[in-house]
This record gives sequence, C-alpha cells and structure tokens, in this order.
Amino acid sequence: MNLTQEQMDQGRRNFLRVLAGMPAVATLGLAASVRGPVPGGPVRIGFIGVGSRGRTLLTDVDPAYADVVALCDINPASLEKADEVLKKNSVPPATHYTNWKEMLQKEDIEGVVMAPPLWAHADLATGCLEARKHVLCEKMMAWDEAGCERMRDAAHRNGKVLELGYQRNYNPLYQSAYEGIIKTGAIGEVFHVRAAWHRNGSWRRKGDPPSSGFDASQWGYPTFDHLLNWRLYWKYSQGLMAELCSHQINAVNWFLGCTPEAVIASGGLYRFPEGREVYDHVYATFEYPGGRTLTFSSIESNAFDDYYEMYQGTKGTLILLHESDALLFDEEASKRSIAITVSPREGGTVAQSSETMAGNRNTAGMSAAVASSAQAGPRPIRIEIQRFCSAIRTGKPVACGPDKAIASALPCIRANEAIKQKSRLRI
Amino acid sequence: MKQEAPSVSLGQQVSLVTLRTLIGWHFCYEGYVKLLHPAWSRDGQPLPPWSSAGYLKAATGPLARVFHSIAEASWIGAFDVTVALLLILIGTSLLLGLFTQSGCTGALAMLSIFYLSAIPLGAAEAHAEGSYLIVNKNLIEVAAVTLLLVFRTGEIAGLDAWWIRSRVAVDQVTEVMP
Repeated sequence: MNLTQEQMDQGRRNFLRVLAGMPAVATLGLAASVRGPVPGGPVRIGFIGVGSRGRTLLTDVDPAYADVVALCDINPASLEKADEVLKKNSVPPATHYTNWKEMLQKEDIEGVVMAPPLWAHADLATGCLEARKHVLCEKMMAWDEAGCERMRDAAHRNGKVLELGYQRNYNPLYQSAYEGIIKTGAIGEVFHVRAAWHRNGSWRRKGDPPSSGFDASQWGYPTFDHLLNWRLYWKYSQGLMAELCSHQINAVNWFLGCTPEAVIASGGLYRFPEGREVYDHVYATFEYPGGRTLTFSSIESNAFDDYYEMYQGTKGTLILLHESDALLFDEEASKRSIAITVSPREGGTVAQSSETMAGNRNTAGMSAAVASSAQAGPRPIRIEIQRFCSAIRTGKPVACGPDKAIASALPCIRANEAIKQKSRLRI
Repeated sequence: MKQEAPSVSLGQQVSLVTLRTLIGWHFCYEGYVKLLHPAWSRDGQPLPPWSSAGYLKAATGPLARVFHSIAEASWIGAFDVTVALLLILIGTSLLLGLFTQSGCTGALAMLSIFYLSAIPLGAAEAHAEGSYLIVNKNLIEVAAVTLLLVFRTGEIAGLDAWWIRSRVAVDQVTEVMP
C-alpha cells in the first residue's frame, strides 16, 4: 500500500472522527455500572421463626426495603400473631409454611430472616445459604463452634450475605460513643470493661399449646414447654451467656478492637432449679490482649443494676446503659470536665454529652447523671434489617458478618464450658 | 462577488463535538436512570419511585393544562417509559453523532417542553439548588443544542461524518463508471 505520511495522518484523523462518541459511550457504561443506581425493588424475604423475637424483627421491616412474602413457623399460634403484625404495619399478608424447605422451594425469595431456637440456627441458616438465599439470623450464631463454622463456610461457599443480629452495631448511640469517645481516646486507655445484665425473674414463659392435638415432639421437643421455654434447656440453648452476654461481648470486641483469648467463669442454677437446666447466675472474666479484661455478670435474683457496659479508661469512664443512654465521667472531674459532645454519625438518635460531672463512686446515683439520649431515629433493629437488604441489593457490607459473630459466640460457649469444668479455658 | 464561507477551526470543532458529547451524556444518563427504576443508590438506599406525574402535576405556564391532563391519564406509566426511551435515543444520537440533526431537534423539543412546564419567574423555592429568573439550565441547554444544530456537528465528527464520506466516495466512483 502506497500511502504518504500525510494520507496516513488524514486516515487516522478520519477514524478518530468517526469514533468520536465511542469512548464517551464506553465511559458512560462503565460509570453507570460502578457508580450508577442498582436496579431492583424491595428485597423479597421470608421469615423462619416468628415467635416473640421473630415478631419483633417482623415489626421493624421497612416496606421500602423489603417485602415479606412468606412466614414459616412450627407453631400456628405464632403465625397468626405474625399476621397481626403485618396487618398493623399495613402490608400485604404473607403465605404460611410450617416446613422451611417447602417455603424455599415454593417462594421466590431472595433472603431469609430467622429467629428460631439457638440449636436450629446452624441447620436452618446453612440450608438457606446452600439454597442460595441471603440470611439474617438472630444472635447467637449457633449452639456450638462447629455450627458457627458451618454457617460461615456456607456463606463463603455460596457468596451470600450472612448477617447475625447484633443490633448494637446499628445503634447510633453506640456508633457515636465509639467514634467520638473510644476512637479519639477521650477516656484514655481502657484496661477494664464491666458488663452486667441483671434481672429478677425466672425467664420462664407461660403459654398453652396452639391446639389440643399439637405435637411438638415431631420437631424434636418432647413437650410443648420445651418449645416454649427452649432457652431454659441445654439441648436447645446456651443460657444467659448466649442470650445476653453475647450481645455485650460483640460490642466490647468492637470497642476494644480485639477478641478475648481466655475465660474464667463460675455460676450455677441457684434460684430456679425446678424445671430448668441452664444457669440462673453466671459470672465470667474474659481476658483480652494487652492486659485488658471484661467482667460479666448476669443474675436472675436482683435487677438493681439493669444492663450496661462500662468502659473504665485511664482518663474517664464511659457507660452505655440499657442501649439508650450514654454516661461519661471524668477521672479528675474536680479539675476539669471532658466536655465531649456525642453526635450521631448518621442521622437519627442524638446522644448529648455536653458536660461531664465528677466521677461517680456511687452507681446508685447514675440514673440522674450527665448524659441523655433521645430516641428520635429509627430503631437499631429496623436499621439492621435495612442494612441487610442494602447488602443484598448493593453489596454494601453488613456490620456483623460471620467472622465477628463467631468472635462473639465462641467466648460465650467457652464460658459455659468453663463453668462446667471449673477451669480457665482458652478461646 | 462570491463570499467564502468562514471555516471552523480545529479548536472550534473539538469544542462543538465536546459540547455535543456532554449534552448527549446528560440525556442518555437521565433516560437510563429513569428506565432503571425501581432502583437503589450505591450507598444502599432505595430510590424513591420515579414517575413524571409529579412533575407534570406541578407544571405551570402556557401548557400547564395539557401537562396536568397527562399526569392524570391512565397511560402515565407508558408515558414515563416513552420519555425515558426518548431521552436515551436522543442522548445516544448526540453521543455517537448519528442522525445528529434529528437528535438535536428532538433534544430541542424535549428541553422546550421542560422549560415551558416550569418557567422560572423568580419565585424562591425552599429546596432549589439555585436561583433562577427566566433563564434556567433548561434554557441554557436549549441554546447549546441550537448551536449544535446550526453547526451540523454530526458532519464534523461521528457516524454521520462516516456516512457522508462513504456516500461521497460512492458518488465519485459512480461518476467515473457511469
């Protein structure tokens, strides 16, 4: 081909002129796929386990984020109560199932929110994940370590979202306390965290079978009481450690940025020995790296202390009380105030801690102390379910995936073993 | 005396084609996002459902009555899809320089409708992102598209230019070999 340099240059210019819009089209396509909106309506979800906790979750489903298309529970009475929740929320009724596998087969659902008894978590969550459904499972992760690992592996293998229901992660008060106080080092170095969850009652629920012919044994519960009060029996439950302590360990792990290495624990069934197996009093000391320690107690004979997490730093003390109040005390308040304003990272709950007061030696006076919070925004559980749906649609990570959940479950499982063995156990 | 038409410099050509590309992008993305609904933002929020009904209902100006009746029509859903598709078609035309004059005409028609539906007469709006009196972004885009139309930018660069050059080559061959 005999082309002059001038002809070649002209040819190139012509080519580029013709393709002038092509790079823009390609860039638009790329930009839209990376930064543009993600198509899709509300996430279609099914519920497994609509007992009291399941219905709490159901109440907090935001219809802008999720459509509840199916409900599954072995107790028909729970399904009826769940219908009332949907009706109260002014959303369409959902199809009922007693068999979760049937629900997965028949319904076009993308995700499952589950709140069954603890012993069923691993089988149900793994089954749903293997069926390629995303899962939001109520805490604790699973009854034993093997169950936790099965759930984590199933989530990784199937590339699905697995979130565990530790709602403190979505509580604006906790987020503010972490960002504004812990992360900034405002209370200095924290060597000791005290967590308590004290109540005065038997934890036993009262209720009748949904019908005279209801047979709970087909589901593995010898009597209806075992189904209703599953939290009180070792077969299905890990007791106070799983139901209460794991929430607080999850938050402490987050705030300290590490997980416990060993546990020393004691406890027993002291007050309500009749018709119950799990301990009604537990006391545990969790050893974290760097000489940091979490002490936890949960008793069922006195509710004076309520429930809280107290971070005792070298410069001050932060107390997060019953998930709705934040208190801040200066170690040397007589000299100066810490004067930290706790503001929410995202809109919603506002925690104000504009001025601190003298270190309170008497915890009885705390309720009248310094900081206050106003529950103006959505409830943390509502945010939790919203974020689960966002993760499904957009890939935005959830706050408590399987790794963090295992780190919250194992210390509790080990603590119960430590009580039984009366020894210090590595986690 | 024969007057020679002023030529368009390379810099002017590049500027015009760049302007066309940007306006094409604007149209294309507007249509794409509308067609994508229901959708979620990348940061995980469900986007509010889109329909032109709200916009049409709020219309003022000389065509307000027409817009209001469209907003209340039973076929508003089909209208929404048509609007989105038209935006994409016009945007693609401007991006690629394909049927550019038609694309510019379509863009002018749509922008004029948008402008006429809400002519800014200086009323302050609480959540408006700017303050406008008579001249707003729609009117400025109208002026810009008019510029593209007048300068026939498809003949400067794009698939129209390729089409025209191919036709010229064919005509020359036809002339040589009748």
